[in-house]
Amino acid sequence: MTTKTSLLKVILLGDGGVGKSSIMNRYVTNKFDAHLFHTIGVEFLNKDLEVDGRQVTLQIWDTAGQERFRSLRTPFYRGSDCCLLTFSVDDNQSFLNLGNWKKEFIYYADVKEPEKFPFVVLGNKVDVTERQVSSEEAQQWCQENGDYPYYETSAKDATNVAVAFEEAVRRVLAMEERTDHLIPTDTVKLHRKPRSAATCCS
Amino acid sequence: MVHVYNCHPFTSQHIVQVEQEPGLVCCGGGALFVVATGGCKVEAYSLEKEGCPLICRFATMGTVRSIRHSNIGDYLVTIEEKNSATYLRAYTNWRYQAEEKARVGVRLLGHLLGGASMSGGVQMEIIEIPLSERPVAVACCSVTGDLLVGCETTLVLFTLRRQNQQNLQNQSQQNPQSPWPNTQQIFSQSQGQTSNTNLSILDFERSVILHIPKMTPRQVALCGGYVAVQAELEVLVLKLEATLEPKTLKETSDTEKSADYLEDQVDFLLIPRHQELLGDRAKDCDIPVSIEKTGLVDRGQYTLSYVLFRRFSPEFFQGCSVEEMQLHSLQLYPLFTSNQPVSLEEPSCMFCFFSLPNAGYLYSLKGGVELLSTYQYPEKVLEAVLTDHLLHVITKSALQCFTVRCAAVAARIEDPYIDTTMKACPPSSLEVCALRMQLFIGLRSVCVYGCHVILLSAADTETPDETERTTQRRGLELKEHTKLTGIFLAVGIDPATTPALESLLSRPFLSRKWTISSPKETSSAGHGWNLYVVDTVPPLALYQEMVEYSQRYTETNPQAQSLRHLLSEAHLLLRASLLQKQDQRPIREGGPAVSLQAGSGSGPARKNTVDRHEVEEALRQNCAQLGDCFSRGSQKDCHLALPYYRMSGLSVTEVMARNRPHPGSPHFYGPGFLFYLKHYLLEETDQTLSQESADEVIDIFSQSEPSLLVSVCASPSIVNINPARTLRILQHLEDTVGVSVPLTITMATMMLRLGDMQQYTQLMERHAEMLLVYGFIEESRLLLRGGGTGGGSGQQKQVCPTELAQQLANSQPGLLVAAMVALHENNKVQLEQADHIFKELGCENCLQVDFWEAMLMASSQDAVIQELLFRLVSVYIERLTNSESKLPHAPPKRKSLKSADDLINSCSHFGALYPWLTVLSPCHTTSSQHQEALYKLQSLLCGPSLALGSVAPLLERLSEETLWGFSLHLLCATRRGLYDSSIEKLLDRCPQAIIAFANHHLQDKNMALWWQKLLPELCNRTRAAADNSILLAALKETLVVVAMETSPAEFLELIPDDGTASYFLPHLLTCSQRHLLA
Repeated sequence: MTTKTSLLKVILLGDGGVGKSSIMNRYVTNKFDAHLFHTIGVEFLNKDLEVDGRQVTLQIWDTAGQERFRSLRTPFYRGSDCCLLTFSVDDNQSFLNLGNWKKEFIYYADVKEPEKFPFVVLGNKVDVTERQVSSEEAQQWCQENGDYPYYETSAKDATNVAVAFEEAVRRVLAMEERTDHLIPTDTVKLHRKPRSAATCCS
Repeated sequence: MVHVYNCHPFTSQHIVQVEQEPGLVCCGGGALFVVATGGCKVEAYSLEKEGCPLICRFATMGTVRSIRHSNIGDYLVTIEEKNSATYLRAYTNWRYQAEEKARVGVRLLGHLLGGASMSGGVQMEIIEIPLSERPVAVACCSVTGDLLVGCETTLVLFTLRRQNQQNLQNQSQQNPQSPWPNTQQIFSQSQGQTSNTNLSILDFERSVILHIPKMTPRQVALCGGYVAVQAELEVLVLKLEATLEPKTLKETSDTEKSADYLEDQVDFLLIPRHQELLGDRAKDCDIPVSIEKTGLVDRGQYTLSYVLFRRFSPEFFQGCSVEEMQLHSLQLYPLFTSNQPVSLEEPSCMFCFFSLPNAGYLYSLKGGVELLSTYQYPEKVLEAVLTDHLLHVITKSALQCFTVRCAAVAARIEDPYIDTTMKACPPSSLEVCALRMQLFIGLRSVCVYGCHVILLSAADTETPDETERTTQRRGLELKEHTKLTGIFLAVGIDPATTPALESLLSRPFLSRKWTISSPKETSSAGHGWNLYVVDTVPPLALYQEMVEYSQRYTETNPQAQSLRHLLSEAHLLLRASLLQKQDQRPIREGGPAVSLQAGSGSGPARKNTVDRHEVEEALRQNCAQLGDCFSRGSQKDCHLALPYYRMSGLSVTEVMARNRPHPGSPHFYGPGFLFYLKHYLLEETDQTLSQESADEVIDIFSQSEPSLLVSVCASPSIVNINPARTLRILQHLEDTVGVSVPLTITMATMMLRLGDMQQYTQLMERHAEMLLVYGFIEESRLLLRGGGTGGGSGQQKQVCPTELAQQLANSQPGLLVAAMVALHENNKVQLEQADHIFKELGCENCLQVDFWEAMLMASSQDAVIQELLFRLVSVYIERLTNSESKLPHAPPKRKSLKSADDLINSCSHFGALYPWLTVLSPCHTTSSQHQEALYKLQSLLCGPSLALGSVAPLLERLSEETLWGFSLHLLCATRRGLYDSSIEKLLDRCPQAIIAFANHHLQDKNMALWWQKLLPELCNRTRAAADNSILLAALKETLVVVAMETSPAEFLELIPDDGTASYFLPHLLTCSQRHLLA
C-alpha cells in the first residue's frame, strides 16, 4: 500500500478585515503585524506539522475578503480539503455573512457532499474588549449548520491559532480515512480500448 | 555503424546534497530543480556555484507529475495533481522565494492586477492555467519562452506575454501588428530582472489549439514555431506559422473527411506499419490536425504544415520486449549561426531528436528534412539529451555519449564556401561514434545544463511493487489475447495455424499502458538514491584527446578510415564550439538567469576571445591533419586535401614538407597532394616559392606526373627555379616522351634565363611560327603571368609579360602579335589585359597598334571590332597630327608590321582607296610614316565597317587646311551622302579630282546629280573663268556623261541659254543618235 499524499489544502474565508492573513502569519511565522495590507487575490503558505503521529504539509490559502476580489479568489476553492470560515467577534456583520461564505465556497469548490465537508469556524480578535458576537451565538450557528467545531482565536496574542489548525487537520484526516475504505485511489484506466470484435464485423 | 573511441568525455562528478529523495529533476537558468518524491516541494540548487548550494525552496500546490524550466522568462511550469484533479501551473519570480515562509501569490491566467500586488515587494507568483482537457506533457520554446501543452487529444499553445507596470493599464491593446510576441522587447526587459523599478509581470495568452484526435501525446516539444508531438510509437512534427492576412482554412472539411474514413478502418490497423514521411510528404500520414484559434486580439491566422512523421511498428525491434518499445526523449533543438539570414528569433537550423530504447534518431528540419544520424545503442536506453557537442544517454547502469552532426549542418548554412575547393567540412552524414561510458547504479533520469550532466540514480527498491504490477498485467494480457484472437477469427484467420501471428499474440504489446508508473514513491529504507552532477570536458580538451588518440592510427595505418573519421569527429567538435561561441547573442546575455545559456561558463568577453583564438588555432591544426589524411589517401575524396590545406593556413612549402616521403620508404606522393599542388600552381599568384621549394616542386612532378611539367614550369609561383637543373629534367622528359612545342618553348625560356641566346634561338627556330602560336595557346602562361587561365571570363586579373614575351617583342615581334591575337581569340586574354601587356613591354604605340590591326583581321566579334576601329582611327589621327607638328617623339620607333596595302589586301575592314583620293593627295607630298597613317585612315573610311558616328568627333578636330585633312573631311561628307556640298568643295579646292569623284560616287540613284548639280556648277564656274582648262576638261567629261544618260529633249533643256551652240551640238548629236538607236 502506497502512502497517501500528505499535502492538505486549507482555505481561509471570511469578510475583509476579520484577520485571515494575520491568523495565517501567526500560525506559520509566529508574528503579528497590526498594519497588514489588504490581501489581493489569493496567496498561500506551507507549514509542515505532525498530527497524531502523521506527517502532513498544511497548505494554507489566504484569500481576499473584499467583494471586488471575488473573481480572483473563487477559482482556487477547488481541491480544498478544509475550509476555515472566519469572522471577527467585534463585527456582527462578519458573523452574519458566514452563511454566504459557506455558500460561495460550496458552489465554487464544487463539493460533492457539502454536508460531509469539514468546515471549521473561527471567531477572531477575542483580545478586543467590545464584542458584538457572543460565544453562545456563534456556537449555536455552528450547531445548526452542521456541527462545525468553533474556536475563538486571537492572531494578536496567539490564542487558539495552532489548536484551530490542528483541529482542521484532524477533521481532514478523519474524512479521508472514511473515504479510503470506499473508493480505492489507485484505479486503472484504459485509455485506448480496442474495439470489440462485434463492431468490427458489423 | 557506430565507431567506439576510448575518449573521456567527462571530467568530474559530485553529489548534490539533497535531503529528501528526488522524484523529478529538471534544470535551466543556472539552476537545478528537484522535486521530492510524491512531494509538493521544489528545491532549487545553483549549478553555477561550487558544490551546488541551495538557492531556495518553495512549495507547489499539488503533487508534481512533470516539471520544465523556461530560460526566457525564467519560469517553471508544472503538471500537478491534487485530489485526483490535474492542474497546469507556471511558477514565476521563484528566485524571490529565498525565504521559505514568504507568501506566494496565486492567480489565474490573464487575471493581472494593476500593480497592487507589488505593494509588499517582489513576490513569487503562481499562474494557474485552466485547461478543458487533462494536461499530459509540457514544453517551453527556448527562443520565445512560449509554452506548449499536450493534452489527451489537443495541443495548446500559450504565448508568453510580459507586462510592466506602465502597460498594465492599457494591456488590452498590446502589440496588434505582430502575431508573435515581441521577443526583442521581452529580452530587453529581462535584463532588468533584479531591479524592482523595471519589473515585469509574466502572463500567457492562449493563442492556438491544435486538435489531434488520432494521436495520444506522450511528450511534446516547441521551438521557433516548430511543434513536435510524440505518442507511444509515433512522432509528428508540424510547423506553425503566423500569417498576417486572415485566411480561411480551406482544408478543414478535407481533414474531417479523412478522419471519418480512418475511423472505419481503425480496427484493422492493429499493427501499424513502419513509416517515415519527410517534409511535405508528412501530410500523407493518417493523422489529421485542425487549428482552433483562441487569441482574443485578432492577430491574423496561423497556418500549419507537416514537417515530419515517423511511425514505428512494434515488431520492428530486436532485443527489447515489445512493451518496452516506447519512444522517449523528444527534443527540438535550434542552432543559431553568425550570418543569420532572418530575424534573431528564427534559428538558422532546427533539429528534432527522439529515441526508442534501442536507437535514437536525429533529423534536420530546415532546408529540406533529412535523417542525419541513427544512434544504435548497445543497451536499452532510458533517456537521452541532445546538446551542441554530444548526445548523452543513460541506461540503467551507465551514462554514455555519442557525437552529433548538428555543427556540420550549421557550418554549411553559415559558410556557403564549404564543399567548394575553398573550404570543407566533414559531411553531416558522417557515421556517429560513441565515447567512453561512465558506470552508475540504477540510473533513473538525466538532464543537461551547459557542461553539467545531472543524473538521478536510485537503487531498485520497489521489486515487490514490480511483481505485483506484473501479475496484474498478466490478467489483462489474457483478456487482450482473447479479444485479438476473436478479431482474427472474425476476419477469417485462425491464429493457431499461423505461427507468426500466434507469437505476436503471445506478446503483450497492447498492455503497454500499465508499465508507465507514476514517479516512484519514497522508500525510507536507507539512502538508496543519489543526485550527481557530472561535468563534461571542454570541447577543446576532448578534441586534444581525440588528436592524441588519432596518433596511434597515424603510426599503425595512416590510410585507415578510422583516422579520417576520428579527425573529422574532432573537426566537428571544434566547429560546434565556434558556432556556440558566436551564439552569445545579446539576448542570451540578458538577465542573470540566462547568462549561462551558452553553457561553457561564459566568462568576461576577453577570455572568450582568447578561447576563440585557441579553438581557431586548433581548427587550423585539425585542417592540416585532415589535409594530410586526404593527401595521402586513396583516389576517393582526395580532392578534399585542397580545401583542408587551405583552411589550415599552411604555406606550400610546409605542405610539401608534410608530404615528403620518409627516406627509405618508396617514393610516393598521394593523389590528394598532387591535386593540391596542381591547384596551387594554377591558381595562386601572390606567393613565390624559394628556389629550394620550387626545385622540389619540379622534382615532385617529374617523378609523379611528368606530363604536367610544362604547365608547372609556367607557374609564376616557381619563377625562382634553377634553370640549368630544370633544363636537364626537361631534356630528359623530351628524350622519353618526344618533342612537343610547349616543351621546346619552356626549354627556350630556361635558356633565356641562363642567358644562352644561341641555344635559345636554336630552340625557337625548331618550329614554324604557326606551331609556336599553337604552343602558346596550349600554355598561355609562357607569355603571360598572373592572368586567370581558367576561361578568361569573370573578374579580370592584372597580367604581366614573361621574360620570353619581352624577348619576343625584340626579336620576333610578329610572333608575339600573332600569339597575342591567338590568345585573345581563344579567350585566354582580354583586350584590356593585352593592352597592359604591351604597355609593360614598352611598345604601346607600335606593337600594340600592330596587335589591333592584326586583331581586326582575326576577330569576328562585332563589339571588339568597333572598339578596335575606334582605337585605330584615333591612333592614325594622332600619328597624322604629330608628324605634321614634327614633335621629336612623334614618329614610331619602328615600321608597322603591316603596311596600308597589306591591310587593304588582307583585311575586309580596310577598303580600297577611292580613285579621287590619289588625285587629291599624291604620295610624294609627305613622309612615309605620315603617308602610311593617312592611307590606313582613308582606307578605314572607305571600308564597310567603320561607324562614322563614333569617330566623327575625332575627325572634326582636324583642320581642313591641308589637302590630306581636306580629303578626310570630304570622305566623311561623302560617307554621309552630302554630294552637293562635296562637289562644291572639291571644285573649290581641287577641281582636277572632280571627274574621278563624280565617276565614283554619282552612280545609279545619284546619277541625276551629273546634270542637276555638276553640270550647272561647271557652267557657272567656266563662265567666271573661261580660260580654266581643268574646269573645261571637267565640263567636257560631264557633257559626255550627261549626253549618255538623258533624252535629247532633256539635254536641250540643260544647255545654258548663253552657251555657244557649236560647243554643245556634238554632245546633243551623240545623245540623239544614241536615242535613235535605242
